[in-house]
Order: sequence, then structure tokens, then C-alpha cells
Amino acid sequence: MSNNPEIKEKEMAQDGFDPRILGFFCHWCCYAAADAAGVSRYQYPPNVRVIRVMCTGRIDTRFILEAFKCGADGVFTGG
Amino acid sequence: MVLGGGVTGVQAALDLAELGYYVYLVEKKASIGGVMAQLDKTFPTNDCSI
Amino acid sequence: MEAGRSPNIEILTNASLNAIEGKPGAFKAKVYQAPRYINEDLCTACGMCTMYCPRPIADTYNERLDITRAPHIDYAQAIPSSYYIDAKACLRVNYSTCNLCAQTCTAGAIDFSQQPKELTLDVGAVILAPGFGRVDREVLEKFGYGTYPDVVTSYEFERLTCASGPTEGHIVRPSDNRPPKKIAFLQCIGSRDETCGNGYCSSVCCMYAIKEASVAKDHEPDLDISIFFMDVRTQGKGFDDARKRAQDKYGIKVHRARVPRVEQIEGRLALTWTNEDGSHESEIFDMVVLSEGLASPEDAEKIAGVAGIELNHYQFCKTSVGSPLATSKEGILVAGAFQGPKDIPESVTQASGAAAIASELLADCRNEKTVTVTYPEERADLQAQEPRIGIFVCHCGVNISGVIDVKAVRDYAASLPGVVLYDDPLYSCSQDALKAIAEKIKENDLNRVVIAACSPRTHEPLFQETLRSVGLNPALIEMANIRDQCSWVHAQEPEEATEKAKDLVRMAAAKARLLEPLEQPTVPVTPVALVLGGGAAGMSAASSLADQGFEVVLVEKEKALGGNLSRLTWTLDGDDAARVLKDMVARVKKNKRIKVMTGATLQSISGYVGNFTSTIAVGRKKTEIVNHGVVILATGGKEYKPLSYAYGESSRVLTQLELEEKLQRGKGFLKNAKNVVMIQCVGSRGDDMAHCSRLCCTQAVKNALKLKETKPDLRIFILYRDMRTYGFYEDLYREARKQGIIFVRYTPDRKPEVLKQSRGIKVRVFDRLIGEELNIPASLVVLSSGIAPMENQELSQILKAPLTSDGFFLEAHAKLRPVELSVDGVYLCGLAHGPKSLEESVAQAKAAAAKAAIPLAKGRVAVAPIVSRVNKDQCIGCGLCEALCPFNAIRLVKEGKRKKAETITASCKGCGICATRCPTLCISMGGFTDEAIMAQIHAFSPDGCKGGDGS
Repeated sequence: MSNNPEIKEKEMAQDGFDPRILGFFCHWCCYAAADAAGVSRYQYPPNVRVIRVMCTGRIDTRFILEAFKCGADGVFTGG
Repeated sequence: MVLGGGVTGVQAALDLAELGYYVYLVEKKASIGGVMAQLDKTFPTNDCSI
Repeated sequence: MEAGRSPNIEILTNASLNAIEGKPGAFKAKVYQAPRYINEDLCTACGMCTMYCPRPIADTYNERLDITRAPHIDYAQAIPSSYYIDAKACLRVNYSTCNLCAQTCTAGAIDFSQQPKELTLDVGAVILAPGFGRVDREVLEKFGYGTYPDVVTSYEFERLTCASGPTEGHIVRPSDNRPPKKIAFLQCIGSRDETCGNGYCSSVCCMYAIKEASVAKDHEPDLDISIFFMDVRTQGKGFDDARKRAQDKYGIKVHRARVPRVEQIEGRLALTWTNEDGSHESEIFDMVVLSEGLASPEDAEKIAGVAGIELNHYQFCKTSVGSPLATSKEGILVAGAFQGPKDIPESVTQASGAAAIASELLADCRNEKTVTVTYPEERADLQAQEPRIGIFVCHCGVNISGVIDVKAVRDYAASLPGVVLYDDPLYSCSQDALKAIAEKIKENDLNRVVIAACSPRTHEPLFQETLRSVGLNPALIEMANIRDQCSWVHAQEPEEATEKAKDLVRMAAAKARLLEPLEQPTVPVTPVALVLGGGAAGMSAASSLADQGFEVVLVEKEKALGGNLSRLTWTLDGDDAARVLKDMVARVKKNKRIKVMTGATLQSISGYVGNFTSTIAVGRKKTEIVNHGVVILATGGKEYKPLSYAYGESSRVLTQLELEEKLQRGKGFLKNAKNVVMIQCVGSRGDDMAHCSRLCCTQAVKNALKLKETKPDLRIFILYRDMRTYGFYEDLYREARKQGIIFVRYTPDRKPEVLKQSRGIKVRVFDRLIGEELNIPASLVVLSSGIAPMENQELSQILKAPLTSDGFFLEAHAKLRPVELSVDGVYLCGLAHGPKSLEESVAQAKAAAAKAAIPLAKGRVAVAPIVSRVNKDQCIGCGLCEALCPFNAIRLVKEGKRKKAETITASCKGCGICATRCPTLCISMGGFTDEAIMAQIHAFSPDGCKGGDGS
């Protein structure tokens, strides 16, 4: 596999790996940054689904385990 | 009374209303917003104007 | 644009001011209002009238690049959200024929019987904010506008780059509708140009040209863009940085030349210009954008006549440095571009500032004429019923529907459990759509609402208010962000984006089912303001607040009030700075509501908006406790102390402020002086500090003129990078050149050198015009050392208020909340915000006073209801939550024999750390309960997580 992220992404897609990711975004920073990314029209892969929380401190380990149980291939916490 | 319904007039009217006064906002065109409503993005953050 | 929703703002459109009589506090204003011919209350903004009207007219909102019809609305989000008929074009109004629109309007809103109205309004104060006018067409025609179709104005270009514009954001040449490859922007069209009467600088065009060029490059990365500047004037806060980024990221070419005319050669546009070294150059472009300046409003003279105010020599409103928002007539104030060309943040700042002055005048009758909104009582029975969800999937014009299949998402939403209504409004945030949502909630007895649109960060309050208006608790809404975090970021993958939108809607609906009504807590406000800093900004803010009727504690760290103003000799317009200072100090001292503490600093602060408690250190040992509701931060900045150019090594090298102090003492020091050299950007613009200090250019020119006046045979050189004498200060720059002051531009890679010689000093600089080095024996070298921030780190930590990378305080929103900090109840003004002139500091201080007065005037502030709640039956009093809470917002209290946790609602920020760590899971977060988040997680799986192990 290459280290170039774009090529890597392509290779992973060729492998048929299209992960479903659940994100927990802090309202104040990560969620705001994700909005800002939209405003700037940055493009990124459509694999992540977002749950907004008021702080990453809100994220209980139970939430993360539950996410994996519900079929998440990855969990993203941003704060 | 605030004469002009652009971003300045609207802001002045909002602040006065919040401060406890009744405001007449007098605009010569058919809608408020002024030139800012015509702008797409703003410098330097490229935030949306509307 | 929230003005449409305030019950205390009455918007009169199609209206003009005809007369004003009376005195401050009791004016009578006569307003003429032309008919809209469409009843605002009945119009549903369906657009049928526009569709059927046979009379095409140019769409002025789109700079005449598009066509609309006589009955129309300017743009989808317009306020009022009602159509109107252009009386000049309408066949029915002018010839009594047609009437088609009235027949097609199903709402019966079209009413040709409307007559013009003459209203007489009783008003206490008037704020003039008519904005700016357009540059004369003749000026544009000199550059081929109107003759060559591909010469466009910057306004037209703005519409071409806009997604909701006539070309949906595709940049095309008007001549053949094909994308251009090479674009040139010409600056200073109708600005800095005495031949058209506009000798001033418009202060905004450099920024918007860079913005338009960047946006164009975003749309078409292969575009070749050149901008022709005289000087690059990006002196605003953070603007230099943004300019540099735009130049680096987009490769925009910067030329320093004024292009005299535009010629057409074989369907393309040829520009010829003279470079700095005198050489000529020509290039062919596909499109030329004229960066049109800001002119005085077309009706400036009429307004001046009606209001009885004076204009300046450029037909803008006349004001003074000490009171920049006052016109020549008491009780009539001015704000925005009519006071002088300026950008959005400054206009917004002046608007708030003018509001503060009006509030000072009218303090006695606050809350006398206002109406308060009353919301219908909450329908508790309905809220308690099984969830009846309404889902609204927004098109956001083409912002969402251009990528996502909105109808498919809407139909998918219909299949979700509990959903009884679904719809897809064009702009769900527009006034008419909000009205429709409210109607649908009522008609269908909805008790939960999901809005799939943009970000809850920006739009949730708007929809919450709609819920309240129909008796639903505002907590019963959930938003799915399918724009900022979906359609905008997956523009190339419409199918995946649609799938993601469906998932987000499903998750939002799952959470919505479990939402519970939340109580809206409010807390009382201590009606006292703490103002930190006793310079020009702090004193202006304190006086304004006191005159508005509030107690003020003014804290100054030095022994006397005055700050940097006490070092200034002349204001930028040549006024006596000492007199301005004396007036300010006198105004503060005679006001009984202001308590001045000198030699004092803020030691610590606790609490939240409405209820702060601060410890002020006075002198070495004493401390004093102050209870207050708001804080104004006006701690100033300082003169940068130069580290280079032999400063401190020779008595002939001074800073501009030191020169002023010398000049004030007498002209003896100039007796043998022949040459004076001023060096700009010492410390600023990447020399040591990254930012531009904004006023040194004007200060240098002002002092050079003073020197000339004192000793006319002096030879004065100003070595500069860009002369940033913005606005009316351009007059000083022109005057300086007329007086023979010599301006030499240098670049940072070839800085001037100050060389010490056995007798005196010499300045060496490369003159780009003659292509040679100049060696100037200098009697005096004056360094334009910029404005540095104070050591703000400690204060920043005490207040939890962030700083910019330059070390100044960072405002909450650069454009729309320029004087508020991200911490509620803390406001910002003066040099602590960034370098600015005295005039700008005063206006900003007034603005901060207006914002700070809002909670004080209201008497109570609302606290977000997303706070934690402890179920005391389950609480074991372990104290983990109290120890972990970063805001000291949860404490243990004794209840009977046991200790129980309790939330301090007003301090709680809703972070949820307590809930996550509570061993008995007895803390629940409003709006973010365990159950609701779990439901979202389960809904993440398309089959509702039935595949799990069912635990």
C-alpha cells in the first residue's frame, strides 16, 4: 500500500472496504469546524454520520461500544 | 427611527429594540438587507452573507 | 437578518423621510411610503404573479444581469418575505390594463387600490444609515464599461460568482457566455481620483477584489487573475494575513500600476500600464472587473436638507474625531458608510455605537413604548402524547437540492416511525416557510419537529422560536445538518450524499422521539458594569453606560486616566488631542454613576453573564470585591519599541510619538535640520509583528505635514511599503505629495538601512523608480513603529477569552459580532481588539457599551436549558461530579443526613462530563439524555441495530 493518502484511499476502495463511521462531535469545536469545512466547500468522503454532543466529555464509553455493536467500522470522537 | 435598512441600519434597529426602545426602520427599497444581501461571501473568512 | 422577527421593530419599506421637526427626545418625522400593491399579510410568496406577468424588467438585485417581472421579490430570503410590484413597469398601474397577476393570485394578495401613505412618527432620536451610493456611470465608461460587454463592475462579478445568482455561480463572459481564462481587476475606480470628485479611498475595494478573485479561483482553479493596485490596502484586523494566504494559495498576480484605459482587440480586452520602474507593459485579458468604489448616497443632499445636518466636502456626513457618530444636529446620529466609506465590521460597530448614543438620550423612557412578545401557553397535553413528528427537508435554494435528492429524502422520512407529516420547503428559514411550518404544526398537532437543513449552531434558535409561537416547547426540535456537513462537502458524490442525508434524518428522528420539554431558566442581572482600562475606549464606554443609567466601575492600572491618548499630541485630523482627553476625563469624573479606581488591576473573576464577582487589586496590598453583570475589556495596546534602525543608539532616531512630543515642546530641535526620513512598517507587517498597525501611514503623513508647516524648507522622505491612508485620510496623503514630500517604496526583501557615521547618520534605500540606491544624510530618522498588544496572556486566562495569533483579543464573530467576546457578558473595544484610530476606538467603545447595556437593561438573562439535572433519589453523594466539573457548576449540598449533588443552573454549560462519570447514572443532560444519544446510535444502523446482541 502506498503512503499517499489519495492513492491509499483508492486502493482501499478497490479492496471494497467502504467503512461506516460514527462520529461524536463536540458542539463548540469539532462540530463547528465541520460546519466551517462546509462553508469552505472542502470535500471529504461521505462515510461518517454525526452525533452532536455539547462536549466530548459527554461521550460515555457505553456509547462507543454500542456504536460498534450497531455496525460501525470506526468511531470518530472530535473535540 | 433608523433611516436605511442595510446591515448598519438593521444592526442599529436590533440593538435599540434589545435595549428597550420601539424602532421604526425606514427603507426606501422594497426589502431590507441593502448591498450585503447581494454579496455572496465576505472577506476574509468567506462566510456566507445571508 | 433577524430584524423581521422583532416585535419592536416596525419595518417601513418603499419609504423615504420627507421632513423632521422638533427637538431631541421629541422629533416628529414625516415619512412617505409608496404602495407595494401586494398585501404583505396575504402574500404567500408562491411566485405565481411573477410567472404570469407579461412585463419583463431588468433584475436590479442581480445587477441587471437577469430578468424578472414587474411583480417580484428581490431574493428568496428577503424581508419582508412578500412580493411587490414595480410601479414604474406595471401595466395595470400605468395604463389600467392587464391585471393578470391579480387574477392568478390565489391568496388574493394583489391590491391595486393601495395608495401612497404619509406617516407622521413620534421619535426620540434618529440614526441615519443610508449606506453608500454608486460611482457615476461616466467614470466606469472611461474604462470601456457599456461599450465592451466583458468589462463588468465588481457588483456584477459578485452576482456571477454567487450560487443563487443569474448564472448559478458559473463565471461567464457576458459577450459570449463562455468561461473566461484571464481576468484583470482594476482597483480605485471612482476612488482616489480627483478627476471624478472622489479624492478619498473607499477602504473596502482591495479586500473585496481579493475575495472575488479567491472565490473565482475556487470555482475555476485554472483561471489566471491579475489585480492592479496602487497600494494594497488591507489594513483591517487579520486582513493582511488573509491577503497573503489568498496570494499564496491561489497565485493571484499583483501589479502595482494604475491602468488608464481598456481597449478591445479582436474581441478581447487589452490593458497597457506603466510599471514602477517606468517601463510599459501590455497584456490581453478575457474579462475586466472594475473595482467600483463607494460613493456618497445619491440622496445625501436631500437627507442633509431634511435632517438639517452638514455634509463634508465629499457629500458624506460630517463628524468629528471625538464624536464620530454625532451629526451637526443633536439627536440625529449617523452610522455606516454615510459617515465615511467602511467595511461591514466597522459599519456594524458604528450601528451599535449609534444605538448606544440614542439610548443615552432616551434613557428616561426605556421600555415605555416597547411591546413584549407573549408566546401562547405550552400545550402540555399535546407534548405528553405519543410523538407526532413533522419532518421538513430543506432545499436551501440549490445549496442542498443541487447535490442531494431532496424529494427522495423527504419520502424516506415519511417511512420513519412516528412521522405524521413531511415537507420540502425551498428555504425553510425564510419568513414565509416559517409561517407555513407553524401552520402545519398546528393543523397536524405535531409535538416533535425535525428540520433537515443547515447547522443547528446557526439556525436552531430560529426554528425554536417558531415552535414557541405555536405553543410547543423549544426543546422539541432536532436538526439534521444535511447542508454544511453533507451537500457542501460531498458535492461530487450526489448518491452517497443522499444516502448520508437519509441516515442523518433517521438518526435525528430517532432522537426527536425521545425529546422532552425543558424549562427555560433565567437569572437576574446585577445592574453594574466593570470597565477594564481607562484610556479613550474605556472612558467612552464607561460614560455611555453611565448615561444610559447604569452603575460603572472603571478600573485603570496607571495612576491617571488617559492611556495612550495622553501621549498623543494631535488626532489624525489635526485636532488637539489634549482637549479631547480633557473632555473625556471631565465627562467621566462628573458622572456620579462612575466609580474610578486607578492603580488597580483585575486579579480574578468568577461567575457568568449577569452575575460576575471580581477581585480588583488596588495598589500593592489592598483588594476590593466588585459584583457586576457585564465586563467591558478596554485594556488598550502600546507603542511598539523598535529593535532595529539604530533606535536607542542615536538621539537622531525617534518614533513618531516621540517626534510629536518634541514638536509640542517647540521647534528648536529643527533649527539645523535639513532632511527628515520617515520609515514605515517598523515592527509591523512581518517585520517583528505580523499585523499591520493601520494608522502609522496616516500618522506619518500628518507629522510630515506638521514638520513642513513648522519649517517649510525641510526635505522629508517617507519610505513605505503600501501607503494605507484609507478613507478621507487620503486627502492628507495627496496634500503631502503636493507639498513636495518624497515617497519612496521599499520591499521587505530590501529594507532601508540606517547607517551611523562619524558625524550624523545616513539612510540608504533602493529607489525602484530610478533603479538606484539613494543615500540620504538624515538630520532626523522617524520610525513609524506600530501598535503592539499588551501582555494579554494573563488577562486572557483570567477571563477565559481567547487571543488572536497577534496577541490581541479575539471577537466572537469578525463581521457580525465585532465587539463581543466568545464568553457571554464580556465585550471588547479599543486597541485591545487591534490597532485603530482614536475615532474608531470611540465608535467601538460606544458599540461595546450598547451591547453591554442589553443584559443590564433587560434585567434577566436566559440560560440555555441544556443543563444537567440530578435525580436526587439515586444520587449517592460521592462527589465525583463536583470534582470533575470544569465550570464549578455542580456542588454537594446536605439534604437531611446525606449529601446530594445539585446543579448550579446558571453556571452549567451542558458539557455532560458529570453525566458520563456518574456511577449511578443519575445525572441527565437536557436535550442530550443517555436514551436520546443511544437512540441515535441505534438509528445509525439502517435496521435500527437489530443485528446487535440485544443487550
